[in-house]
Amino acid sequence: MRRWMTTGAAILITASVALAGCSQRPGGTEKNAGSDVQNGSQTPANTSANSGGSSGGEKIRLSVYSTMNEPKNQEMMKGIAADFMQENPDIQVDFQFPGSEYENILKVKMAANDLPDVFDTHGWAVIRYGNYLADLKDEAWAPQLTDTIKPVVTGKDGKVNVLVLSEAKDGITYNADILQKYGIEPPKTFEELMAAAEKMKTESKGEVSPFYMSGVDNGMIGQFLDQYATSLLISPANNEAQSLLDGTFDWNKWTPLAQSLLDLQTKGYINKDVLTAKYSDMPQRFAQGKVAFVIGGPAFADDVYKVNSNVKIGYMPVTPMVAGDGQNFSGGERYTMGAWKDGKHLAEAKKLIAFFAKPENMSKIANATKLPAGLKNIESNHEFSPYYEQFADVRVFPYFDRVYLPNGMWDVMCKTGTALIAGNIKPEEFSKKMKSEYERLRKQ
Amino acid sequence: MAEPNTRPLHDPYQLPAQGSYFKRLARSGAPLNLLYAPALVLFVVFIFYPFLRGVQISFTNWDGYNQDFKWIGVSNYARMLDDPDMATVFKNTFVYGIGSTILQNVIGLLYALLLHTNIRLRGVARTVIYLPVIISALIMGYIWYFFFQYDGGAINDILLLFRDQPSNLLGDPKANVWVITFVNTFQYLGIAMVLFLAGLQSIPKEYYEAATIDGAGPIARFFRVTWPLLAPSFTVSMVLNLIGGLKLFDVITAMTNSGPGYASASLSTMMYLLYFGREDAGYAAAIGVLMFVLISVVSISALILLRRREVTS
Amino acid sequence: MTVRSKTLWLALAAALICLLHLLPFYILITTSFKASGDLSSKWVMPGYLYLDNFVNAWREARLPVAFRNNIIVTALSVLLIVLTGSVAAYPLARRQTGWNKFMYALFVSALIVPPLTILVPLYKYMVDIGGMNTYWGIVLLHVTFNLPMTIFLYTGFIGTIPRDLDEASMIDGADRLGLFYRILLPLLKPITATVVILTGVAVWNDYQFSVFFLQKQELRTFTVALSSFFGSYTNEIGWVAAGSLIGALPMVAVYLFLQRYFITGLSSGAVKG
Repeated sequence: MRRWMTTGAAILITASVALAGCSQRPGGTEKNAGSDVQNGSQTPANTSANSGGSSGGEKIRLSVYSTMNEPKNQEMMKGIAADFMQENPDIQVDFQFPGSEYENILKVKMAANDLPDVFDTHGWAVIRYGNYLADLKDEAWAPQLTDTIKPVVTGKDGKVNVLVLSEAKDGITYNADILQKYGIEPPKTFEELMAAAEKMKTESKGEVSPFYMSGVDNGMIGQFLDQYATSLLISPANNEAQSLLDGTFDWNKWTPLAQSLLDLQTKGYINKDVLTAKYSDMPQRFAQGKVAFVIGGPAFADDVYKVNSNVKIGYMPVTPMVAGDGQNFSGGERYTMGAWKDGKHLAEAKKLIAFFAKPENMSKIANATKLPAGLKNIESNHEFSPYYEQFADVRVFPYFDRVYLPNGMWDVMCKTGTALIAGNIKPEEFSKKMKSEYERLRKQ
Repeated sequence: MAEPNTRPLHDPYQLPAQGSYFKRLARSGAPLNLLYAPALVLFVVFIFYPFLRGVQISFTNWDGYNQDFKWIGVSNYARMLDDPDMATVFKNTFVYGIGSTILQNVIGLLYALLLHTNIRLRGVARTVIYLPVIISALIMGYIWYFFFQYDGGAINDILLLFRDQPSNLLGDPKANVWVITFVNTFQYLGIAMVLFLAGLQSIPKEYYEAATIDGAGPIARFFRVTWPLLAPSFTVSMVLNLIGGLKLFDVITAMTNSGPGYASASLSTMMYLLYFGREDAGYAAAIGVLMFVLISVVSISALILLRRREVTS
Repeated sequence: MTVRSKTLWLALAAALICLLHLLPFYILITTSFKASGDLSSKWVMPGYLYLDNFVNAWREARLPVAFRNNIIVTALSVLLIVLTGSVAAYPLARRQTGWNKFMYALFVSALIVPPLTILVPLYKYMVDIGGMNTYWGIVLLHVTFNLPMTIFLYTGFIGTIPRDLDEASMIDGADRLGLFYRILLPLLKPITATVVILTGVAVWNDYQFSVFFLQKQELRTFTVALSSFFGSYTNEIGWVAAGSLIGALPMVAVYLFLQRYFITGLSSGAVKG
């Protein structure tokens, strides 16, 4: 008897939750989808994107994979695709956003030679995906690629691999309110940056952790190493670019970089829980005024505004590490579209890419992603545009690891960096590990 | 698994051979084996063949996605020997496998003994303890992360009432392996418990009555009746927990993502990180093969040892 | 100590254990009812009624679609698992030739194969046979990977059913397959309940296969749909908590419904066998 009552109760709860979910659907607060003006027009488009080819006739289905994570940006992309489908009623665009599994899924797809018709190369247009991409150099938009991005996505023999929707120009994102509170100007050298960190740490009595990193999502530690490797080894007039390329690099020169990462930790400049914190914990703490600097771009800004819409977020280039050197950005492709060369609908895929390359669509993307567009003369207007304008003349170097490290090193760098912070290894051992993996992977 | 049955004459499956080949075949019962043909086909297609391909990959330097690769013999296996990370990974895998097996069985047995008695809350408690098994380990891992989290974690909220410093268990390479072992124990404790409950249920009451008449107290009864008769439950529970623990993946990924560095990685997570992160699919496959061999050896020797105990007791 | 007070103490112990084991679920519940800006301790229940997490999880993860997919995939898989598994176990339990013992070991040893080592070959297959993004593709995988456990349990259980039963009905003229379906299958109820719970849970919660083989958004299953919130870049703890609660309910209901057969089934399938 009692068992039946428990079962009955469970079923009731299930049913009521299900019903509650249903009845509130239309009236619910549109926190995520509706806040942006752009999205207003896209709701109907979105439904049509999902209803498949129900409107009769055999449609050509294009599968499109993107790395966009924010629901708002995903809707924006689907909106553009919907406009495209209106112009081309015989084509059905199926957008997929696999999120954090994107790279894994794409790797398995490459292994099976079964790629989407159009996909995002998120920084790997040449090295990783190059063999699978169609040449887009004859597309009308190709000459419009910006000067910084063109070499990054152009393969041998001038093959243009992808349309770059937005360019990454990674510097340092900072909490302008905190800097103002402690009377700090945005630092222009690494020493100034360290002095600023010291000042915040002591004056806030540990309330503010100058930097935020995550050992779980250890790409954040990798990001620091990658951007500052450029400052230390590539950007100075007397640099190591050549020796890294030809394999003669003396890896002892990596040790100072490892040391400066370790110093951040030992001096208490990083969040105390760096080893267990997740990337996703960061926006909240940034909004609470507990984090001052985040290495990398401001993609997380909207998550900060969700917690506290009054936070002022600033953006600056990477500070030089060598005396006399200037500031720099690490650049590369962020969101892109490439066409699978063996896709059944290559012509339609190119057509879709060309549609996204239209200036009005490129502006939409730039404004939503808060990143500079990959084509010239694209209007964009968002809270970070003034910063990009202010630093328009700062040199942009391609991501360090893409050019100077063999494939597969990124993860070694992130993991070993985390082990360094955890105190498992010393800076010299970090260099040794980098050297041995570098040599092993180069041979392959 | 069934007990060997020795009934030569009347066993319908072992009729004396006579008649034509087909009749003999039919009578031998061999066509009965056709019943597992569908299962066998699925196995060959979806497990055995792909696994052999996996073994093949372990002799290459494949990066996991490009169409071209080189055969490099056993170098992937040789590499394991001087890979400093592998020592940690092996140690962790054993902690996860053996540590949680012991914990699950000891606690599971205690729970089963308690919940086999006729007390209130018995049904509720059984369900509550089994509940995590029903929910995905990945999601349970995230819930536990909320407990051990440094900033705003449930445990630190309590600790901070008594002292100034929050604890950072998950960040401590020595402690986090045990935290994960604990969480894994919690997650799958229910399985050990129900296996022991099932074993207890199948012990005839008369045995206890006979022991009581012999003057045995509760403790003596446990060691004379319960313990030996639970042997089959033990075998199954130990072997299943060993396999599960040595293959542990979800909980680690949810709680520490194998970090800091590789400090809490297991063979499974290491394989994943090498495969997708370091683009070292050949090496990852070698680790997979090694893992298969290791788990086979451990679980089969455990099986043999434990079965022997069943027979002698 | 009287018997009464002893059972009281034991009941108290059981109550304590329950509380201890409910702690994570308590945290799950407080989290699922809290607004995202609410930074109070995880132990504190929110002082307001807030259901947005449930609404958002339901809508943003498209849980209705995910539910449909999960129900179809789980139901089909479990059905096929029970059919192929029980049938396969019959000769393994009843005809213990050397060859069949070997086959049995082979089937059960597949429990040990690490799924990742076979992922890529498996994926290539699926592309070749057109099983990508189809229900039947993923169902075949689930069936295969849950068969070792199923065969193990059924073989053990059938071993405990007296053979006299087979003989009696054979004399009545039933062929073996008929015998299996008419006489044995009804007796397999408890172990079938066990198999349904164990494999149903495994299929329902599966992440590894579903994420690779059901990539289309309209085919996403529950765990995959929810996982999009706890990827590296999102911080919707409340949604995940609410979503996991919703997703766990059907399995909990099934478990409660089959619970009474569950331990009986295990008792003869896994323990006596």
